[in-house]
Amino acid sequence: MSSPRTVTAKASAKTSRAAKKSASDEGMSRADKVNFISAMMDGLPSKDAPAKTRTEKVARKASANKPLKVEILRKISAPVIVATPSNALSDEARKFAAAIEDKVASGDFDALTPEAVQALMTALCKFYSCNVEAGNKFAVVKDRHSITGTDAMITCGALLKAVDLQVFELGMWQSWSGL
Amino acid sequence: MAEQFIGKASEFKDGDRQIVRIGEDEIGIFRHEGQYYAYSNFCLHQGGPACEGLTIANVEERLRPDKTSMGLHFTDSMNFVCPWHGYEYDMKTGCHVKDKSIKLRKYDVVTKGNDVYVVA
Ligand code: FES
Repeated sequence: MSSPRTVTAKASAKTSRAAKKSASDEGMSRADKVNFISAMMDGLPSKDAPAKTRTEKVARKASANKPLKVEILRKISAPVIVATPSNALSDEARKFAAAIEDKVASGDFDALTPEAVQALMTALCKFYSCNVEAGNKFAVVKDRHSITGTDAMITCGALLKAVDLQVFELGMWQSWSGL
Repeated sequence: MAEQFIGKASEFKDGDRQIVRIGEDEIGIFRHEGQYYAYSNFCLHQGGPACEGLTIANVEERLRPDKTSMGLHFTDSMNFVCPWHGYEYDMKTGCHVKDKSIKLRKYDVVTKGNDVYVVA
C-alpha cells in the first residue's frame, strides 16, 4: 500500500504531464512551424499551379538538350540617325567643336575667353530656337552620350539665370507651348 | 542546355536587341560592337525588365594629380539600365556597375553562319 505522500507525488506528476501536453496542443508543433515558415518564404501553392512533382522535374531534365519553344517578345531597334547633307559653315563649325572638345579633354579650360564662349552660346542659342520655332525640330545634341546630365543642368540653369527665369516658369511655358 | 535558334544575324544591327522567352526563362539579347550578349531579363533588384531600358555609356569623373575634378565624362564601356528603378548593368559582364557581386545570369550566344543561337 502506498503512503499518502507517494500518492500525492504521483498525482502531481500526472497533473504536470497533462499541463505540458495541453500546452503543446495549444501551441504549434515543430512540423507545423516548419510548414508555416516555408509557406511564408515560398508562398502557398495555388490550386491551379500545383507544385512540380518529381516526375515533372525528371521530365524537364530529360528534355534539357532538346530545343525549347522560343517566343520573341519584342524587338528593340537601335536609334536611327538621319544624315543631312553638309555645307561649308557646318564643316567649319564641326572642326571648331572638335578643337574645343580636345581642349576640354586635356583640361585646358582657358582655351576660350569667357567673351568668346558668350558669343558662341548666344549665337547657337538663337540659331537653335529659331529652327525649332520654324518647325525644324532636331535633337540639341547628337545623342544621349554627347553630354552628361550635369553638363545639361549646369548649362540650362545658367541660361535660365541669364534671362531671369525660374524653373517653374520654364515648366509652365513648356506645357502651354508644347515645344 | 541546348542551342536555341533566336533569329538571323542579318536582322540584328549593332545596337539592336531582342527579348525572347525560352521555356521558362526571359532573356534579353544585345548586339553591341559586333558582339552578342544575352542576360536574364529579370532585374536583381525587384524583378523589373532589366534588359529593356536605356543603354548608356559609363560615366566617370576625371581627376588631375592634385585631385581637382576635370568633370564627368562618358567612357567607351556601355551599360544598360533597368527601367524600373535604374539598376545599371555592364553590357559585357552583366555586373551591376557599383556592386560587382550583383550579376545578371549570363547566357552564351553562338553564331553559325547567319543563324544566332542562345544556349539555354
Ligand atoms: S527592378 Fe530593376 S531597378 Fe528595380
